[in-house]
Amino acid sequence: MVTVNMADPLGVRARLLEATYTCVARYGMAKTTVEDVVKVSGVSRATIYRHFPGGRDELLRETVAWELGRYFSQLGDHVRDAPDLAELLRRGLQFARRSLREHEVLRKILDTEPDRLLPLLSTESTRTLPFIASFLMPYLHREEAAGRLRPGVDVERAADYLARAVLSLIASPGRWDLEDPDQLAVLVRDELLGGICT
Amino acid sequence: MGRHIDLRDGAGLVSAGPVSAGPAGDPPGRSGRPAGAVRDGTAERVLDAALACVARVGVTKTTLDDVARAAGCSRATVYRHFPGKQPLLAAAVAREGDRLAAAAVAAARDAATLADAAVAVLQAGARGLAGHDALGYVLAVEPEVVLPYVSFDGGSALLAEAAARLAPAFVRFVDAQHALRLAEWLVRIGISYLCSPEGDELFDDARVRALVEDFVVPGLVRPAPSREVVPS
Repeated sequence: MVTVNMADPLGVRARLLEATYTCVARYGMAKTTVEDVVKVSGVSRATIYRHFPGGRDELLRETVAWELGRYFSQLGDHVRDAPDLAELLRRGLQFARRSLREHEVLRKILDTEPDRLLPLLSTESTRTLPFIASFLMPYLHREEAAGRLRPGVDVERAADYLARAVLSLIASPGRWDLEDPDQLAVLVRDELLGGICT
Repeated sequence: MGRHIDLRDGAGLVSAGPVSAGPAGDPPGRSGRPAGAVRDGTAERVLDAALACVARVGVTKTTLDDVARAAGCSRATVYRHFPGKQPLLAAAVAREGDRLAAAAVAAARDAATLADAAVAVLQAGARGLAGHDALGYVLAVEPEVVLPYVSFDGGSALLAEAAARLAPAFVRFVDAQHALRLAEWLVRIGISYLCSPEGDELFDDARVRALVEDFVVPGLVRPAPSREVVPS
């Protein structure tokens, strides 16, 4: 659904974020300048500063947040119709891991300038965790209604715990192969839902 | 298909690390160190000095001259033990990791249940990390130095290594496979909290116990190794 932001009816902000993303994909984070964003977006320097008073640093920070938001909304779309929480987690982890592995821009920046990207991602995780937790809440409530939650489970705490688990696994699967359905089933049943679902 | 977790497999994944963990039951933190690699007093002093410098000015600004001065030895002596800043810092990280893991495993020595052991390990680990001056400086001032080692591929390597070191705390209660899974899972949860604004919860006994008993342990208390497919 496209919503029109009345403060920015032409979607200049989104265009600038998209353009910054293109520049980062081309030149990397260190070499992307406001001039590059001017060239790619066709938006004037003055307008860019009106939308992003912090200039280059703010553009880069907001672009990381924007791409992260896009990644998680794709993830949400992919799992939304899962029949239960376990299936939702299995599908989500598998899809998230695959799309992260195939995310060429991310891979490139992680290889070449992790020192620039990681602090931004780390800051963003304070917004990402509550986002994932609130996405999971209705599914936990549905498990509760279906009588599949273990007695005494606090749904909010469970959502927070699962969000941490999911974010950790997506970024660093460790010894788990999240694209192997058998491993995924064991992981979701024991580590993630062992204390939550019956 | 029937791959099982084996502590030795876990250690194999971190062969790039300076020290690999041995099978469960070895004294924590020392297992796997090549014979003859025991450091003399000077090397230990140099490592202490390096950590003191990092705690004061950070990784980026620490020089071998600073370290030599802090250790009360010559630059040449530092070099004889550690041929450069990178090897010196790597050795310091490895030693601190050994100490931290040993302390966490020791904290679980008298645990009566698996949950008690998990609580002890999580709290000892969190306290050890939070009380570490050099790490504290780096996280606060130059997080970009440490983040590559805790996120993405670096995070996976760290998890494997930390899990192999901590698993011995749990082998009295569960089989080696579940001990390793529990260890890895605790490290994950611990890192997640420490990297978020809720990090302080790890210093609240009741909250840690609730976290461990409600969410972490229930799925991992199993009487025998499962024959299911788990990572190798």
